[in-house]
Amino acid sequence: MAVYKKTYRPYDGHLTPSWSRFLVVARYAYEDLRRSRFLSFFFFASFLYPLGCAFTIYLRYNLGVLDAFGLAPPKSFAIEAPFYLTFLGFQSMLAFFLNAFIGPGLVAPDLANNALPLYLSRPFSRAEYVLGKMSVLAILLSLMTWVPGLALFALQGYLAGFQWTMSNLRIPTALFAGSWIWILILSLLSLAMSAWVKWKPVAGALLFGIFFVASGFGAAINGVLKTKWGHLMNVSHLIGSVWVSLFEEPLKRGAGAVFFRVAFGEEIPIWCCWASLICLCLFCLYLLDRKIRGVEVIR
Amino acid sequence: MNEAAIVFDNVSRFYGDVLGVNGVNLSIPPGVTSLVGPNGSGKTTLMNLMTGLIRPTRGTVSVRGIPPDRPHELFRVVGYCTQFDSFPKSFTGYEFLFSYLLLHGMRATEADRRALEALAQVGLLEAANRKVAAYSKGMRQRIKLAHAIAHDPRVLVLDEPLNGLDPMARAETIALFQQWGEQGRHVIVSSHILHEVDRISDQVILLSHGYVVAEGQIQGVRSEVSDHPIQILVRCLRPAALASRLFEQDHVVEARITDDRRGLAVRTRDADRFYLLLNRLVVESGLQLESVAPVDEDVSSVYQYLIGTQGGAS
Repeated sequence: MAVYKKTYRPYDGHLTPSWSRFLVVARYAYEDLRRSRFLSFFFFASFLYPLGCAFTIYLRYNLGVLDAFGLAPPKSFAIEAPFYLTFLGFQSMLAFFLNAFIGPGLVAPDLANNALPLYLSRPFSRAEYVLGKMSVLAILLSLMTWVPGLALFALQGYLAGFQWTMSNLRIPTALFAGSWIWILILSLLSLAMSAWVKWKPVAGALLFGIFFVASGFGAAINGVLKTKWGHLMNVSHLIGSVWVSLFEEPLKRGAGAVFFRVAFGEEIPIWCCWASLICLCLFCLYLLDRKIRGVEVIR
Repeated sequence: MNEAAIVFDNVSRFYGDVLGVNGVNLSIPPGVTSLVGPNGSGKTTLMNLMTGLIRPTRGTVSVRGIPPDRPHELFRVVGYCTQFDSFPKSFTGYEFLFSYLLLHGMRATEADRRALEALAQVGLLEAANRKVAAYSKGMRQRIKLAHAIAHDPRVLVLDEPLNGLDPMARAETIALFQQWGEQGRHVIVSSHILHEVDRISDQVILLSHGYVVAEGQIQGVRSEVSDHPIQILVRCLRPAALASRLFEQDHVVEARITDDRRGLAVRTRDADRFYLLLNRLVVESGLQLESVAPVDEDVSSVYQYLIGTQGGAS
């Protein structure tokens, strides 16, 4: 063996904490998203409804404003859990559409172009890669769901007083937990679908299929077999049931969030809803584990 | 565990029923090592195994004492340049290097300095702010190389790094490889340009159908190929006289006078004995020699003898 000069000295400078490095992935994804006018418009338009809600809350505690405009105040004007459940449902539906546009574009191009070795030949694991891509969705969807939701609750708490705030603490808890469950399901599904088909438009279409076609199929099963278990295929029904239980709302006809309503008499046990959603997440993780690899082995 | 070498200990990798590599035992020392073999011989599989992008079906790999299934440790010391041209669409050359250095945990100022340094090393400083998507094939090859070296790794694994480079860039890149090798780094290169492999390599690993056919310094490998006598070209004034003396030797199987009648092409089974004889002839009979050089002590010939095809593997 040759005698080498041994002049090599490795880098021994300061390193950023390893837990924060997945955010590098998110940082560049946002720059790409910012360039899309449609997505920027859609994202900012999604704050119109929370603004409307904020105005409604303001009116509720300032009924004199209605007098000033010559309008009669409504006899019953309660803003409680159903108001927030509706808010969550509406924003979650917008989040679903935004996710369907953005999510598939995060992973599919990397896989289609064999770009994963670029990431995975760094001190960066597959889990961190998935976490980095998920964080893109998690941050955006949070800004559309629980962040404005908690801001609304804070506004109402400020206007209604400490007593009301303390007696309604389940609302922010449910908003926060319900939003995160939805965000987790959406982001896992979109990453898994795009990793599976590696084609952005098809992955987006698959997402719509899972939510709308599968729920239609579930409804058909219910109709033909005279059962309610077809709802297990309806993600909206499952998540709607979980939200209702989180908000501790007694189920009544048409209860639950807008777009995520749970029909009276067709409720399935809440543990079944949880179990189905957990199975869905595990299936997505399995797909991601199979597909997110430095080198794809084609047999 | 050998902390100065890349070690494959009885490594096999199967893709279902398809063999990737089988029973590989290697200990690769620092310096420039070339992987040579035809398509599907297992070169990229070996590279993917040593970078942990695939796991062995059997056996163990260690890179300077680090198992490849620990990416956080491994890629502090390893830089990998894959054969795929795959880049995030919207990145400029500079952003591409900068962002991946951030993944290494470097601060922005350090990442900035290193990105510019790597761009300068591969001659892309002027194109730093152009989109990678607009780069030519050769420029993309160079940015991949910059990507592999930007964090100053101890082990460089380069899958066909000379593809698409113009002659000038090739020469500069080869000089870089040799410089890195001399610094005590591992530079593992796969290439199908055999005459360049000769120039680059301290040692070669020849692969065929997933098996390591030969490994080591090329002269050593050549001398092991006993069924192909070594060819030596002797340039001298009286080749016929030399030929007559050589035919008396049992290890000489052929001696052919060249067309210009100023040289003798000799094929011998024992090069050491041939050189001793030649020394004796020079001393005893005053034979005047212009030059003596082995003709087939190169990767191309060894490749042809062992793998059975002309060079042009990939």
